[in-house]
Amino acid sequence: MNNNEVLLKIENLRVWFEIRKRMLSQPLYVRAVDGINFELKKGESISLVGESGSGKTTLGKTIIRLYEPTSGKIYFDGIDITNLNSKDLKWYRKETGLIQQDPFGALPSHFTVYRILEEPLLIHKIGTVEERRKRIFKALEDVKLTPVEDFSSKYPHMLSGGQMQRVVIARSLIMRPKLIIADEPVSMLDASVRIEILDLLKELQDKFHMSLIYITHDLATVRMFSNWIFIMYAGNLVERALTNELLNNPLHPYTKALLSAIPDPDPENRKKLREVPPGEPPNLINPPPGCRFAPRCQYAMEICNTEPQEIEVQSKHWVKCWLFNK
Amino acid sequence: MNEVILKLKNFSLSYKTRKGILEAVKNADFELKKGETLAIVGESGCGKSSLARGIMRLFPRNLEKVSGEIYLNGEEILSLDEESYRKNIRWSKISMVFQGAMNSLNPVLKVVYQVAEPLMVHMKIDKETAFKKAKEILSLVGISESFSERYPFELSGGMKQRVVIAMALITNPQIVILDEPTSALDIITQANIMNLLKLLKKEFNLSYIFITHDIATASELADRVAVMYAGEIVEISPAESFYYKPAHGYTMMLLNSVPTLKIDKKLRSIPGTPPSLISPPKACRFHPRCQFVMDICKIKEPPMFKKDEEHFAKCYIGESHE
Repeated sequence: MNNNEVLLKIENLRVWFEIRKRMLSQPLYVRAVDGINFELKKGESISLVGESGSGKTTLGKTIIRLYEPTSGKIYFDGIDITNLNSKDLKWYRKETGLIQQDPFGALPSHFTVYRILEEPLLIHKIGTVEERRKRIFKALEDVKLTPVEDFSSKYPHMLSGGQMQRVVIARSLIMRPKLIIADEPVSMLDASVRIEILDLLKELQDKFHMSLIYITHDLATVRMFSNWIFIMYAGNLVERALTNELLNNPLHPYTKALLSAIPDPDPENRKKLREVPPGEPPNLINPPPGCRFAPRCQYAMEICNTEPQEIEVQSKHWVKCWLFNK
Repeated sequence: MNEVILKLKNFSLSYKTRKGILEAVKNADFELKKGETLAIVGESGCGKSSLARGIMRLFPRNLEKVSGEIYLNGEEILSLDEESYRKNIRWSKISMVFQGAMNSLNPVLKVVYQVAEPLMVHMKIDKETAFKKAKEILSLVGISESFSERYPFELSGGMKQRVVIAMALITNPQIVILDEPTSALDIITQANIMNLLKLLKKEFNLSYIFITHDIATASELADRVAVMYAGEIVEISPAESFYYKPAHGYTMMLLNSVPTLKIDKKLRSIPGTPPSLISPPKACRFHPRCQFVMDICKIKEPPMFKKDEEHFAKCYIGESHE
C-alpha cells in the first residue's frame, strides 16, 4: 500500500441545519459547517480542535455520513460518498468507525460485552459462530481487556469508565475500518485514565494503519497524538498545520488566543490574569459577514468584514486570516 | 492574611450503602486562612465533593456518621443545630458554587430573581432592595443590566456560570467553596471565569476552597494544595511545593500523568483504579498502585510526616522508618 495515498478528501463541505420552518417565510439555517476543504492520507491522524458549538462534531459525523451534507463533496478512497444510497452506506459503515464521547451512553445496558461486539459482525453477516468468537476475543485482547473470557460475559454496568471506553473502541475497530472518528473519547474519563486510553488508541491506529480524526477541545492532549492539528471556529477551519508547527508557530489570532488560554500546571498562574479575548463565539444562524472571529479579534481591520480565503502561508501551513493575505 | 478563618479537625464522613459502610472522608485536617485559596485535588470518587458538601452540612440521606470538629472564626460549627447553622452560617458565612450548577438554574425565573432570592429568603430583605443588590453583583461578575432581566436559556454557558457565581457572592460570605466551577466550560470561557474569580477574591478578600480534578486549572487559583486519595488528605503543601517538590507517591504519579502543552514529556498513567471506599486497602491506601511501594507501606499506615515548612504528606518516601 502506498503511504501517500489520500484516503479522505473534503471539498467545500457545508452542513446547514434548517430550523423554524414556517409557511411563507424564509427558512432559517444554522450554518454548523460552512465551507471546509482538506485531505487526509492513509495512516495519518488529525486533531480537530475547537470550542463547543464550533461544528467539529457535526463535521465528524458528516464525514461518516451520519448527517447529510448540504453541499460540497466527500471522497473516500477515491469514491464519492456524498450521496450514497442505503445499500452502499452499509458498505461505508464497515469502512469507518466512531468512538463517542460518552461510553456510559454508547453501550446498550442489556447486552453483554460479547453481544455488543458481536452485533456489527451479525449486521454485516460475517463468519460462523466460531469465527466470530475468535474475532471478538481478539478484539478484546487488542484493547487489553484480559482475561477476555471474564470480560466478554460482563454487562456494561460492571465495568469502569475506562474499561467501557475500551469496549467502545473494540467495537468500532472490529470491522477493521480504514478511518476512525474519535469524538472527545476521553473527556468523560478521569485524568489518570485518559493517557492510558489515548496511548491505546494511538497504538491501535499504528498497528492497523488506520487514519484517525481526533475531535477534542483539549489542546493539551493533542501533542502526543496526531500528525496534524486543525483549528475550527464557528464552522470554519481557521488554521491547519503539522502539530509541532502549529504549536510553535500559531498564526491565526484565534489559535493564539486558544493556546494562551490553556493553563499549564504552574503555581505562578495564580498571580496573573490571562489575556483572553472577551465575548463568546457567534451565533451560527446569523454569523458575522466576513471573518467570524473579527468581532472578538484585537487585530480586526476593515477588510475583515469580507470573508478571507484560506492561504498556504508556508508549506503545509494554511491560515484563513486577512493578516496573512497580502 | 495569616488569620485562620476555617479549621477542620478529624472531620470524617461515612455513608450507608447496601454493600456496607462507605467512608467518604476520613480524618480531614486542615486550616484555611483569610484571603487564601486551598485547592483540593483528586480523582473522581476520592471524596473531595463529599468533603465540600460536608463543610456546608449538606449531607445525603444515607448519612451514617459525621464526626470531628469544624471551627469558623474560632467557633465550633459542626455541633450547631441545623436551624442555627442554616440561619447564621450557610450562605451567609460560607457559600458554594456547585458542580454543574449552571444547568440547575430555574428555567422559568429571570436570572435577577434567582440571584436576589437568597437575600429575600435568608436576610428578609425586601424585593426592591434585593433586586438592586442583585443587579449590582451581576454587573460585577460581567452580566450587563439588560441580561439580568433574561431567562437562563437566553444565556450562554459562560454567562450562566457567572450568574451562579453571583448567587454565591450576594450574601457577602467569607468563604466560597468552588466545586469544579469550570469543568463544563470551553477553554477560553474557562480562562475568563478564572480571571473573574481572581478579581473577586481580591475585591472582597475572599477565601476559596477550590475543588477540582484538573491539576493545571488548580494552579490558576491555588495558594495551597491538598491532595485527596480514597477519602484521605494524603498531602497538603504550598502550591510551589506541590508542583515542584511533591512528597507523596500519589502526587508524583498524578503530576506525571498530566498532559501539558509547553513541555514535551513522556506521560505515565497511574495503573489500576481508585479503591472502593467500603473496604479500602490496609495501611497506605495507595500502595497497590504506587510505583515507589516499600514493604512498610503494606503493613503500617503512614502518619502525616512533616516534609518541609507547611508541607505535610502521608508517605514513607524519604523517611527513615525502621
